Amino acid sequence: MSARFNASVSVAGVGLRQYRRAKAPWPERGVLVRAIVDACEDAGFDPADVDGFVAYGDDKNEPVRLMSDLGTKELCWSTQIWGGGGGGIAGAFGVAAAAIETGQASAVVVFRTLVQADSGRLSGAVMRHHLNDHLLGAGLISPAQPCALRAQRMFEHHQVPLSVAEELVRASYYHGARNPNAVSYGKELDLDAYRTARWIAEPFRLFDCSRENDGAGALLLVSDARARDLKKKPVHLVGVAQGAGKGWGDLLENDDDYASAGFASVARRLWQQTGLTPADIDCAQLYENFSAQGIASLIDHGFCTYENVAEFVRFENLIAPSGKLPINTAGGNFAEGFIHGIGMAIEAVRQLRGESTNPVPDAKTCLLAGGPGAPTVSSAIFSNEAIR
Amino acid sequence: MSANDIIEPRHTVGADGPYWQALAEGRLELPRCEGCNRWHWPAVFRCGECGSWDHRWHTVATEGTIFSWTRTWHPFDGSEGIGVPFISLIVELPQAGGRRLLGLLEGDDRNLRIGAPVRGRIDATEIWGDRIPSLRWTILDGSAA
Repeated sequence: MSARFNASVSVAGVGLRQYRRAKAPWPERGVLVRAIVDACEDAGFDPADVDGFVAYGDDKNEPVRLMSDLGTKELCWSTQIWGGGGGGIAGAFGVAAAAIETGQASAVVVFRTLVQADSGRLSGAVMRHHLNDHLLGAGLISPAQPCALRAQRMFEHHQVPLSVAEELVRASYYHGARNPNAVSYGKELDLDAYRTARWIAEPFRLFDCSRENDGAGALLLVSDARARDLKKKPVHLVGVAQGAGKGWGDLLENDDDYASAGFASVARRLWQQTGLTPADIDCAQLYENFSAQGIASLIDHGFCTYENVAEFVRFENLIAPSGKLPINTAGGNFAEGFIHGIGMAIEAVRQLRGESTNPVPDAKTCLLAGGPGAPTVSSAIFSNEAIR
Repeated sequence: MSANDIIEPRHTVGADGPYWQALAEGRLELPRCEGCNRWHWPAVFRCGECGSWDHRWHTVATEGTIFSWTRTWHPFDGSEGIGVPFISLIVELPQAGGRRLLGLLEGDDRNLRIGAPVRGRIDATEIWGDRIPSLRWTILDGSAA
């Protein structure tokens, strides 16, 4: 599969409500409806005219239950991407685009909601999707542990230097410290604290792991033609791929290319369908559930290799405005906050509108790389120019 | 637990049912396709390579090498019966086409490294109060060489 991506669909509005974990003022539906209405107001669009919804990661908020709050005139598209983790986040935009391009829906919201009182700890929910007695018998209960096994293989067998994880974490925290909406706003990462933090599962210490937050994020997608008449500058979806290559999946840790993040086939299709290369990407929102998986994601997408990863993954290279590839410019899952990654998709849009608190000058393209290491992964490219 | 304790299999009807049944009886068995001789793990109902529905379960020695490892320090909910820290292993089995199994390390961990030879035995892991049949691996002496 390597056809060109020929949908003409844009993100027209975004909405994000984020709270400290277990501190949301309403249950999930209350938070989600606000995020969706925020996204519609951002676009200048009547929420009642939203006729499609796509989620991922086992979101519990079935769209039909939102209709009374939103005044939905007709629900035409209601679906979500398989998988318990964040691997499906970018693929959700492909599903929304498919609905719009084929006329099955005309205004589709991609969303993710997380309120601990309703859904419990995210880490537990993700793992429950994948748990079985083979994993449990080895004491593998939390996503940190299988990711740690892959990370150990990357560091010890493939000899990726441990220092690159620190460079990546520093970049996320650098941006988070400069984003007033981030949980780490105003707080630089203390390197000594990073290096001596308590172990979670080797090789991960505390700050190698993403946070969890309550909240909801929503992005409104419509056709390019319709987006041009709305309030904000359209951000085009120029390519998206989801899935898994042969030899990757839910395989009891028997995956080929085990230390990777699973993007080999997805990245190949993404580059083929857009005609772009890593050199054409101006910034990236790189889903980092854990530090090493962010590194593996960069390698999988072709930004660097096991051999030259330390040259590429340097703090100076990863920060706005001057880095070669600024990543996680709102702070990412580590430092902005973590509502199963939806904040990263919203930052991709804000960055390309010039609304980021860590702007990348003249950025025209932004990669959204979904949850790495998940059985099903996905990636998308957004642009403020139509790329054909 | 003592080796004489019987661990009731919790699963018997899935593609991996014979694995759990054998483990409960004190043997490690893994499936191999009768059509193309490929070792399959996880177990499959149908061989996606040759289309065969016939698999034979073979007794496999619990011997292999460490493919990767992690030492868990955070007391994740459910792991109370193991107790932190503990070391989870992925073990590559040369006698089963390089397929990998999971398990816990027991004994001396001074020679813990990818590639270290290990030998296993069958025990049970307590998770959320359930006893789950599983493998315990020991690093073989002299593996640091």
